[in-house]
Amino acid sequence: MALAIAAAAVPMLAGVMALPRPGDPAAPVHARVAAHVVAHGAEETGAENLVTAVLLAYRGYDTFGEVTVMFAALAAVMTVLAPRPRERSPEPADGVAISPVVVFVIRLLAPFIAAFAVLVVLRGNVSPGGGFQGGVMLGALLVLLSVVTGRGNERPLLEPRLASWLQAAGPLTFTLVALLGFATAGAVLALPADPAWARGAMLLALELGIGVGTAAIILGLFLQMRGW
Amino acid sequence: MPSGLQNLDYAAFVVLFCIGLYMVLARSNLVKKLLGLNIMETAVFAFIVTSGMVDDGTAPILGNGVAGPFASPLPHALILTGIVVAVSITALALALIVEIHRQCGTIEADELKGAE
Repeated sequence: MALAIAAAAVPMLAGVMALPRPGDPAAPVHARVAAHVVAHGAEETGAENLVTAVLLAYRGYDTFGEVTVMFAALAAVMTVLAPRPRERSPEPADGVAISPVVVFVIRLLAPFIAAFAVLVVLRGNVSPGGGFQGGVMLGALLVLLSVVTGRGNERPLLEPRLASWLQAAGPLTFTLVALLGFATAGAVLALPADPAWARGAMLLALELGIGVGTAAIILGLFLQMRGW
Repeated sequence: MPSGLQNLDYAAFVVLFCIGLYMVLARSNLVKKLLGLNIMETAVFAFIVTSGMVDDGTAPILGNGVAGPFASPLPHALILTGIVVAVSITALALALIVEIHRQCGTIEADELKGAE
Protein backbone atom coordinates (compact mmCIF):
# COMPACT_ATOMS: atom_id res chain seq x y z
CA MET A 1 0.00 0.00 0.00
CA ALA A 2 2.64 2.52 1.04
CA LEU A 3 4.78 1.29 -1.81
CA ALA A 4 2.01 1.94 -4.32
CA ILE A 5 1.46 5.46 -3.03
CA ALA A 6 5.20 6.19 -3.00
CA ALA A 7 5.44 4.89 -6.55
CA ALA A 8 2.72 7.34 -7.51
CA ALA A 9 4.01 10.27 -5.48
CA VAL A 10 7.68 10.27 -6.45
CA PRO A 11 7.28 10.86 -10.22
CA MET A 12 4.60 13.47 -9.52
CA LEU A 13 6.85 15.36 -7.11
CA ALA A 14 9.77 15.19 -9.50
CA GLY A 15 7.65 16.50 -12.35
CA VAL A 16 6.13 19.25 -10.27
CA MET A 17 9.50 20.49 -9.10
CA ALA A 18 10.59 20.96 -12.70
CA LEU A 19 7.74 23.30 -13.57
CA PRO A 20 8.25 27.06 -13.70
CA ARG A 21 7.28 28.63 -10.42
CA PRO A 22 3.61 29.71 -9.99
CA GLY A 23 3.26 33.36 -10.86
CA ASP A 24 6.05 33.47 -13.42
CA PRO A 25 4.88 35.76 -16.23
CA ALA A 26 7.11 34.00 -18.73
CA ALA A 27 5.58 30.59 -18.12
CA PRO A 28 4.27 28.83 -21.23
CA VAL A 29 0.71 28.92 -19.92
CA HIS A 30 0.53 32.66 -20.64
CA ALA A 31 2.21 32.51 -24.01
CA ARG A 32 0.01 31.88 -26.98
CA VAL A 33 -3.70 31.22 -26.53
CA ALA A 34 -4.05 33.05 -23.22
CA ALA A 35 -2.24 36.11 -24.58
CA HIS A 36 -4.61 36.22 -27.56
CA VAL A 37 -7.67 35.86 -25.33
CA VAL A 38 -6.53 38.61 -22.96
CA ALA A 39 -5.67 40.98 -25.79
CA HIS A 40 -8.64 40.45 -28.11
CA GLY A 41 -11.24 38.63 -26.08
CA ALA A 42 -13.50 41.55 -25.20
CA GLU A 43 -13.94 42.90 -28.71
CA GLU A 44 -14.21 39.54 -30.42
CA THR A 45 -16.87 38.12 -28.13
CA GLY A 46 -18.51 41.09 -26.44
CA ALA A 47 -17.98 39.67 -22.97
CA GLU A 48 -15.74 41.57 -20.57
CA ASN A 49 -15.42 38.61 -18.26
CA LEU A 50 -12.68 36.74 -20.10
CA VAL A 51 -13.48 33.44 -18.39
CA THR A 52 -17.05 33.65 -19.75
CA ALA A 53 -15.63 34.60 -23.14
CA VAL A 54 -13.51 31.45 -23.11
CA LEU A 55 -16.32 29.25 -21.80
CA LEU A 56 -19.13 30.38 -24.09
CA ALA A 57 -17.39 31.72 -27.16
CA TYR A 58 -13.92 30.29 -27.67
CA ARG A 59 -14.71 26.91 -26.14
CA GLY A 60 -18.46 26.75 -26.63
CA TYR A 61 -18.43 23.10 -27.61
CA ASP A 62 -16.85 22.10 -24.30
CA THR A 63 -19.61 23.85 -22.38
CA PHE A 64 -22.18 22.14 -24.59
CA GLY A 65 -20.67 18.79 -23.62
CA GLU A 66 -20.61 19.83 -19.98
CA VAL A 67 -24.33 20.59 -19.76
CA THR A 68 -25.00 17.30 -21.51
CA VAL A 69 -22.85 15.48 -18.93
CA MET A 70 -24.89 16.99 -16.10
CA PHE A 71 -28.14 16.04 -17.77
CA ALA A 72 -26.86 12.51 -18.40
CA ALA A 73 -25.87 12.20 -14.73
CA LEU A 74 -29.42 13.07 -13.68
CA ALA A 75 -30.83 10.56 -16.16
CA ALA A 76 -28.47 7.87 -14.86
CA VAL A 77 -29.40 8.61 -11.22
CA MET A 78 -33.08 8.36 -12.12
CA THR A 79 -32.42 5.00 -13.76
CA VAL A 80 -30.40 3.61 -10.85
CA LEU A 81 -32.81 4.79 -8.16
CA ALA A 82 -35.98 3.82 -10.00
CA PRO A 83 -38.50 2.38 -7.55
CA ARG A 84 -39.08 -1.33 -7.78
CA PRO A 85 -42.75 -2.23 -8.16
CA ARG A 86 -42.80 -4.66 -5.28
CA GLU A 87 -40.89 -2.89 -2.55
CA ARG A 88 -42.42 0.49 -1.89
CA SER A 89 -42.10 0.26 1.86
CA PRO A 90 -42.46 3.86 2.95
CA GLU A 91 -39.54 4.72 5.18
CA PRO A 92 -40.81 6.30 8.37
CA ALA A 93 -40.16 10.00 8.32
CA ASP A 94 -38.61 10.09 11.77
CA GLY A 95 -36.06 12.48 13.07
CA VAL A 96 -36.05 15.78 14.87
CA ALA A 97 -38.63 18.29 13.75
CA ILE A 98 -37.20 21.42 12.21
CA SER A 99 -37.05 24.32 14.60
CA PRO A 100 -39.42 27.20 13.76
CA VAL A 101 -36.56 29.67 14.08
CA VAL A 102 -34.71 27.96 11.23
CA VAL A 103 -37.86 27.84 9.13
CA PHE A 104 -38.52 31.54 9.67
CA VAL A 105 -34.96 32.64 8.89
CA ILE A 106 -34.75 30.57 5.72
CA ARG A 107 -38.11 31.81 4.51
CA LEU A 108 -37.02 35.37 5.23
CA LEU A 109 -33.71 35.03 3.37
CA ALA A 110 -34.99 33.02 0.42
CA PRO A 111 -36.03 35.93 -1.84
CA PHE A 112 -32.66 37.65 -1.34
CA ILE A 113 -30.73 34.50 -2.11
CA ALA A 114 -32.84 33.93 -5.21
CA ALA A 115 -32.33 37.52 -6.36
CA PHE A 116 -28.59 37.23 -5.86
CA ALA A 117 -28.49 33.97 -7.81
CA VAL A 118 -30.42 35.48 -10.72
CA LEU A 119 -28.14 38.54 -10.65
CA VAL A 120 -25.05 36.33 -10.82
CA VAL A 121 -26.50 34.51 -13.83
CA LEU A 122 -27.51 37.65 -15.70
CA ARG A 123 -24.27 39.55 -15.11
CA GLY A 124 -22.03 36.71 -16.18
CA ASN A 125 -20.60 38.82 -18.97
CA VAL A 126 -19.23 41.66 -16.88
CA SER A 127 -18.60 40.34 -13.38
CA PRO A 128 -17.46 37.04 -11.89
CA GLY A 129 -20.21 34.54 -12.20
CA GLY A 130 -22.17 33.04 -14.99
CA GLY A 131 -24.63 30.29 -15.58
CA PHE A 132 -23.17 27.50 -13.47
CA GLN A 133 -22.49 29.55 -10.36
CA GLY A 134 -25.92 31.16 -10.27
CA GLY A 135 -27.63 27.91 -11.17
CA VAL A 136 -25.95 26.06 -8.31
CA MET A 137 -26.99 28.78 -5.84
CA LEU A 138 -30.57 28.65 -7.05
CA GLY A 139 -30.58 24.84 -6.92
CA ALA A 140 -29.21 24.83 -3.39
CA LEU A 141 -31.87 27.33 -2.34
CA LEU A 142 -34.60 25.11 -3.82
CA VAL A 143 -33.19 22.08 -1.98
CA LEU A 144 -33.15 24.05 1.27
CA LEU A 145 -36.74 25.16 0.75
CA SER A 146 -37.79 21.60 0.02
CA VAL A 147 -36.31 20.46 3.31
CA VAL A 148 -37.65 23.36 5.34
CA THR A 149 -41.19 23.48 4.05
CA GLY A 150 -41.52 19.72 4.10
CA ARG A 151 -42.71 19.47 0.50
CA GLY A 152 -40.48 16.63 -0.54
CA ASN A 153 -41.89 14.20 -3.05
CA GLU A 154 -45.62 14.49 -2.50
CA ARG A 155 -45.93 18.06 -3.73
CA PRO A 156 -42.50 18.95 -5.04
CA LEU A 157 -41.57 22.56 -5.55
CA LEU A 158 -41.45 21.98 -9.29
CA GLU A 159 -44.21 20.15 -11.12
CA PRO A 160 -42.81 16.88 -12.56
CA ARG A 161 -43.72 17.63 -16.15
CA LEU A 162 -42.39 21.16 -15.97
CA ALA A 163 -39.35 19.88 -14.11
CA SER A 164 -38.43 17.52 -16.96
CA TRP A 165 -38.41 20.37 -19.45
CA LEU A 166 -36.45 22.64 -17.14
CA GLN A 167 -33.83 19.99 -16.48
CA ALA A 168 -33.28 19.66 -20.20
CA ALA A 169 -33.00 23.44 -20.54
CA GLY A 170 -29.21 23.37 -20.70
CA PRO A 171 -28.75 21.09 -23.73
CA LEU A 172 -31.88 22.47 -25.41
CA THR A 173 -30.72 26.08 -25.17
CA PHE A 174 -27.33 25.17 -26.53
CA THR A 175 -28.88 23.35 -29.48
CA LEU A 176 -31.13 26.30 -30.27
CA VAL A 177 -28.32 28.84 -30.09
CA ALA A 178 -26.06 26.59 -32.15
CA LEU A 179 -28.66 26.35 -34.92
CA LEU A 180 -29.24 30.09 -34.71
CA GLY A 181 -25.53 30.68 -35.08
CA PHE A 182 -25.49 28.39 -38.08
CA ALA A 183 -28.36 30.31 -39.66
CA THR A 184 -26.91 33.76 -39.13
CA ALA A 185 -23.17 33.37 -39.32
CA GLY A 186 -22.55 30.18 -41.23
CA ALA A 187 -20.94 28.03 -38.58
CA VAL A 188 -22.55 26.03 -35.79
CA LEU A 189 -22.39 27.88 -32.43
CA ALA A 190 -20.95 31.00 -34.07
CA LEU A 191 -21.65 34.44 -32.65
CA PRO A 192 -22.76 36.96 -35.30
CA ALA A 193 -20.67 40.08 -35.30
CA ASP A 194 -22.95 42.51 -37.10
CA PRO A 195 -25.77 43.46 -34.76
CA ALA A 196 -24.04 43.88 -31.41
CA TRP A 197 -27.26 43.23 -29.54
CA ALA A 198 -27.65 39.82 -31.23
CA ARG A 199 -24.34 38.66 -29.84
CA GLY A 200 -25.19 39.87 -26.36
CA ALA A 201 -28.64 38.32 -26.59
CA MET A 202 -27.27 34.92 -27.59
CA LEU A 203 -24.75 34.96 -24.75
CA LEU A 204 -27.51 35.93 -22.31
CA ALA A 205 -29.75 33.14 -23.62
CA LEU A 206 -26.93 30.64 -23.09
CA GLU A 207 -26.34 31.89 -19.54
CA LEU A 208 -30.03 31.67 -18.68
CA GLY A 209 -30.32 28.20 -20.16
CA ILE A 210 -27.31 26.97 -18.21
CA GLY A 211 -28.55 28.58 -14.98
CA VAL A 212 -32.08 27.21 -15.14
CA GLY A 213 -30.88 23.79 -16.24
CA THR A 214 -28.33 23.52 -13.43
CA ALA A 215 -30.84 24.57 -10.76
CA ALA A 216 -33.46 22.10 -11.98
CA ILE A 217 -30.91 19.27 -12.19
CA ILE A 218 -29.67 19.85 -8.64
CA LEU A 219 -33.21 19.88 -7.28
CA GLY A 220 -33.96 16.76 -9.30
CA LEU A 221 -30.91 14.94 -7.92
CA PHE A 222 -31.90 15.80 -4.36
CA LEU A 223 -35.49 14.67 -4.82
CA GLN A 224 -34.36 11.42 -6.43
CA MET A 225 -32.07 10.50 -3.57
CA ARG A 226 -34.50 11.50 -0.87
CA GLY A 227 -37.82 9.91 -1.37
CA TRP A 228 -38.09 6.48 -2.73
CA MET B 1 15.35 23.89 -12.74
CA PRO B 2 14.06 26.21 -10.01
CA SER B 3 14.80 25.44 -6.40
CA GLY B 4 12.41 23.30 -4.46
CA LEU B 5 10.96 25.97 -2.20
CA GLN B 6 9.51 27.97 -5.06
CA ASN B 7 7.18 25.17 -6.07
CA LEU B 8 5.95 24.49 -2.55
CA ASP B 9 2.37 25.08 -3.66
CA TYR B 10 2.61 22.38 -6.27
CA ALA B 11 4.21 19.97 -3.81
CA ALA B 12 1.38 20.59 -1.34
CA PHE B 13 -1.17 19.70 -4.00
CA VAL B 14 0.72 16.51 -4.82
CA VAL B 15 0.61 15.59 -1.11
CA LEU B 16 -3.15 16.27 -1.07
CA PHE B 17 -3.56 14.06 -4.12
CA CYS B 18 -1.71 11.24 -2.40
CA ILE B 19 -3.89 11.61 0.70
CA GLY B 20 -6.95 11.18 -1.50
CA LEU B 21 -5.34 8.22 -3.26
CA TYR B 22 -4.63 6.59 0.09
CA MET B 23 -8.27 6.99 1.09
CA VAL B 24 -9.45 5.37 -2.12
CA LEU B 25 -7.09 2.43 -1.81
CA ALA B 26 -6.97 1.78 1.92
CA ARG B 27 -10.48 2.33 3.19
CA SER B 28 -13.15 -0.25 2.56
CA ASN B 29 -16.21 1.92 3.19
CA LEU B 30 -17.63 3.03 -0.15
CA VAL B 31 -18.51 6.53 1.04
CA LYS B 32 -14.95 7.05 2.26
CA LYS B 33 -13.63 5.95 -1.11
CA LEU B 34 -15.88 8.51 -2.74
CA LEU B 35 -14.61 11.21 -0.39
CA GLY B 36 -11.04 10.26 -1.30
CA LEU B 37 -11.92 10.65 -4.96
CA ASN B 38 -13.30 14.11 -4.22
CA ILE B 39 -10.09 15.07 -2.43
CA MET B 40 -8.05 13.93 -5.42
CA GLU B 41 -10.22 16.00 -7.74
CA THR B 42 -9.86 19.06 -5.50
CA ALA B 43 -6.08 18.70 -5.52
CA VAL B 44 -6.01 18.58 -9.31
CA PHE B 45 -8.28 21.62 -9.63
CA ALA B 46 -6.17 23.66 -7.21
CA PHE B 47 -2.99 22.66 -9.03
CA ILE B 48 -4.26 23.73 -12.44
CA VAL B 49 -5.67 27.04 -11.20
CA THR B 50 -2.41 27.85 -9.39
CA SER B 51 -0.47 27.27 -12.59
CA GLY B 52 -2.33 30.16 -14.21
CA MET B 53 -1.31 32.77 -11.64
CA VAL B 54 0.78 35.82 -12.50
CA ASP B 55 2.82 37.99 -10.15
CA ASP B 56 0.71 41.04 -9.10
CA GLY B 57 -1.98 39.89 -11.46
CA THR B 58 -5.70 40.59 -11.22
CA ALA B 59 -8.73 38.53 -12.13
CA PRO B 60 -9.20 38.23 -15.91
CA ILE B 61 -12.20 40.56 -16.01
CA LEU B 62 -11.87 43.73 -18.04
CA GLY B 63 -13.75 46.71 -16.74
CA ASN B 64 -13.27 50.42 -16.99
CA GLY B 65 -9.83 51.30 -15.80
CA VAL B 66 -8.67 47.78 -14.96
CA ALA B 67 -5.13 47.29 -16.17
CA GLY B 68 -2.09 45.37 -15.32
CA PRO B 69 -1.19 41.74 -15.90
CA PHE B 70 -4.18 39.45 -15.91
CA ALA B 71 -4.17 35.91 -14.67
CA SER B 72 -4.68 33.45 -17.46
CA PRO B 73 -8.41 32.76 -18.03
CA LEU B 74 -7.89 29.36 -19.61
CA PRO B 75 -7.29 27.34 -16.41
CA HIS B 76 -10.39 28.86 -14.81
CA ALA B 77 -12.62 27.82 -17.68
CA LEU B 78 -11.07 24.36 -17.73
CA ILE B 79 -11.64 23.89 -14.01
CA LEU B 80 -15.28 25.03 -14.23
CA THR B 81 -15.89 22.16 -16.60
CA GLY B 82 -13.94 19.87 -14.29
CA ILE B 83 -15.97 20.85 -11.22
CA VAL B 84 -19.23 20.14 -13.04
CA VAL B 85 -17.97 16.74 -14.11
CA ALA B 86 -16.83 16.01 -10.53
CA VAL B 87 -20.28 16.89 -9.21
CA SER B 88 -21.91 14.59 -11.76
CA ILE B 89 -19.57 11.73 -10.83
CA THR B 90 -20.29 12.24 -7.12
CA ALA B 91 -24.05 12.29 -7.71
CA LEU B 92 -24.04 9.07 -9.71
CA ALA B 93 -21.67 7.33 -7.27
CA LEU B 94 -23.88 8.27 -4.32
CA ALA B 95 -26.95 6.97 -6.14
CA LEU B 96 -25.16 3.67 -6.76
CA ILE B 97 -24.13 3.47 -3.08
CA VAL B 98 -27.73 4.05 -1.98
CA GLU B 99 -28.92 1.28 -4.29
CA ILE B 100 -26.16 -1.08 -3.11
CA HIS B 101 -27.18 -0.47 0.47
CA ARG B 102 -30.77 -1.21 -0.40
CA GLN B 103 -29.95 -4.44 -2.20
CA CYS B 104 -27.11 -5.84 -0.08
CA GLY B 105 -27.58 -4.15 3.27
CA THR B 106 -23.95 -3.08 3.61
CA ILE B 107 -21.54 -0.62 2.07
CA GLU B 108 -18.24 -2.10 3.17
CA ALA B 109 -16.26 -3.28 0.19
CA ASP B 110 -14.78 -6.40 1.80
CA GLU B 111 -18.19 -7.61 2.97
CA LEU B 112 -19.55 -7.00 -0.51
CA LYS B 113 -16.72 -9.00 -2.04
CA GLY B 114 -17.62 -12.00 0.08
CA ALA B 115 -21.36 -11.85 -0.39
CA GLU B 116 -21.39 -12.25 -4.15
